[in-house]
Amino acid sequence: MDLIVQQSINAISLGGVYAMLALGLAIVFSIVGLINFAHGDIMTFGGYGIFLALVFGFSPVAALAIGIGAAVIMALTLERTAFRAMRGADVVTLLITSFAVSEILKVLFQNGISARPVPISFPAGWSGTYEVAGATIGVVPTVSIIVAFASLTGLTLVLRRTATGMAMRAAAEDIEMLKLLGVRANRVVAIAFAISGLLAGVAAVIWTAQRGSVDPMMGFFPVLKAFIATVLGGLGSLGGAVLGGFVIGILEVLTQAFLPDGLSPYRDAIVLALVIAALLWRPDGLLPAKNANRS
Amino acid sequence: MIMRKLLLTTTSALVVAGAVQAEDYVIGVMSAQSGYLAPYDGPAYAGFQFCIDQKNAGGGLNGELMVKTIVKDTRSDIAEGVKVVQEMIDDGAQFIVSSADADPTIAAAQITMADGIPTMTFAGTAPVLTQVGPHVFGSYPADNQQGAVLAAYAREQGLENVYLVKSPDSAYTLGGPEYFGEVFESLGGNIVGTSNYSLNQPDFSAIVTTIKAAEPTPDVIVTWAWEPDFPAFIKALRGAGLDTQVMGGDVLDTPTVRGLGDVVDGVVHTSGGFPDEGSDYAKFIDDFKAATGTTPDNNYYVNGCDIANMIEQAVAAAGSTDPAAVAEAMAEIENGKGIMSDFTFKGTDRMPLRDVVVARITGAGEKEFVLRTTADPDLLPQP
Repeated sequence: MDLIVQQSINAISLGGVYAMLALGLAIVFSIVGLINFAHGDIMTFGGYGIFLALVFGFSPVAALAIGIGAAVIMALTLERTAFRAMRGADVVTLLITSFAVSEILKVLFQNGISARPVPISFPAGWSGTYEVAGATIGVVPTVSIIVAFASLTGLTLVLRRTATGMAMRAAAEDIEMLKLLGVRANRVVAIAFAISGLLAGVAAVIWTAQRGSVDPMMGFFPVLKAFIATVLGGLGSLGGAVLGGFVIGILEVLTQAFLPDGLSPYRDAIVLALVIAALLWRPDGLLPAKNANRS
Repeated sequence: MIMRKLLLTTTSALVVAGAVQAEDYVIGVMSAQSGYLAPYDGPAYAGFQFCIDQKNAGGGLNGELMVKTIVKDTRSDIAEGVKVVQEMIDDGAQFIVSSADADPTIAAAQITMADGIPTMTFAGTAPVLTQVGPHVFGSYPADNQQGAVLAAYAREQGLENVYLVKSPDSAYTLGGPEYFGEVFESLGGNIVGTSNYSLNQPDFSAIVTTIKAAEPTPDVIVTWAWEPDFPAFIKALRGAGLDTQVMGGDVLDTPTVRGLGDVVDGVVHTSGGFPDEGSDYAKFIDDFKAATGTTPDNNYYVNGCDIANMIEQAVAAAGSTDPAAVAEAMAEIENGKGIMSDFTFKGTDRMPLRDVVVARITGAGEKEFVLRTTADPDLLPQP
């Protein structure tokens, strides 16, 4: 029983991170049609922000805030310098642009900071545990779950209850109509990038707290998983991205925990086979957007 | 007439220059400047080039044979590595120094096999890498040597039950824990469980939860995981409240791991060397720092330098630069003089027998010397 409780918490914790990253990808895709593979590097930049803040003597809490801020600034910078000029280009062109930006950032991290991981050491208490009904639960996974759900709830409120959120949802439906109605599209797009950067920054905080280091490739693999999650959930669907993130996270943890040793090298293949099966069953994703782009 | 003279003069100059270059010993170097091998290839290449430059300043290898290096980036990509090795052979390479892992070295050795060009890995430690052919050499103490020494140390400490965490994605991360387990069992210990992970796995909490549930409870966990997987694993382990002793391979001997703080306090790992005060190794660190401004903070620097020493001694013993003769001479070296430690290829499968150091990480993020010994040949597991 303890094992099931603990593995469930592990699954939700990992799924929460994937969900935040997937949502960041989905927000930008739904508005400008960009699958932003540099999203992982925005997360990495947030991690380096935390590292540098600690090096310069900031308190751990301040370092986390700086990391999140760094990710937001990086997302806005990329939107202004790289992606705005490509607005209106087809999906493939945008995709290649994002790969190029991603590669440039990785090389900059590697040559400007270090090719090898740099350590991030948070206070020992942050790695503590507590007991619930006989199960030992880690502080970091718990905080990870709380932060993930708080972020997703906050974002839902912004999108549903504010004028800016309404404009973003309208842009996702039809950005040309939004322009015709006199809404400043550049501002809406910039806010979408800022939110995506914010989510990447929060993911960076959780990631570095759990992993203890940051390296130039840190964001690549989680964003790859997040991309799979957005496809599984339905490209352009915000709810689908969140659902896809949790499904991928839960599948990964369950297969890690319960697959026999002999099958464990096939874990990723099994997870991806299940994703393909789900897409054969629902080609537009589990929760497709209204103007669905077939996954 | 003037044109003809000019052409003749230019051609003669090129022939003379070519003859001078032909006397250089050409070493091709695979060095990943990006990707997962960059943290290891970078320092190893820096140490290698530093010592080659020193030797060239003194007249070359053995004071008489100047060395020319051809260095090419592999981007940690095996296909790219194969391509650059072929290019370096086309450019006249007589010796290849390959990346710091078994897999790219095995791929490179397939290319160098036809001409029998000696191929030595920067720091690959999987003993299987030399099985490609008699032209392939290791340079660092192999995983089976490290595993045997660490397992013997663990048993001496009274540890009885080990849990192994390994990854089938690389020969290093798979082989190290398995060699440890084999020797640990032969010395009376028990393997109470095994978990597999993938390289760059996002999350280790599921493995940690499985370890917590293991019966009987392990008193030591052994992994050859490298960065960033090891930091993620140890954070998850300590974060779940498990303070079990953790041991690992030489890849934990990095400032990044030591910088992780309390979670690595007491972690024990193997290493290729330790810069004791007054030793050649300590002098190398001082010289390198004085010349480059960089302090060598891991063994890959000095091992890179020792590769230059190994090549020099092999060429001297061969009395020739013929690739086959150099490879044959290298395989016969006994008690060769190194800076990190001395080395013996004779009687081995070309993974040199060298001292293995066991070290412990302190709470202050320092490396503490525990012991230095060579692996007991009777205990050494076969690849």
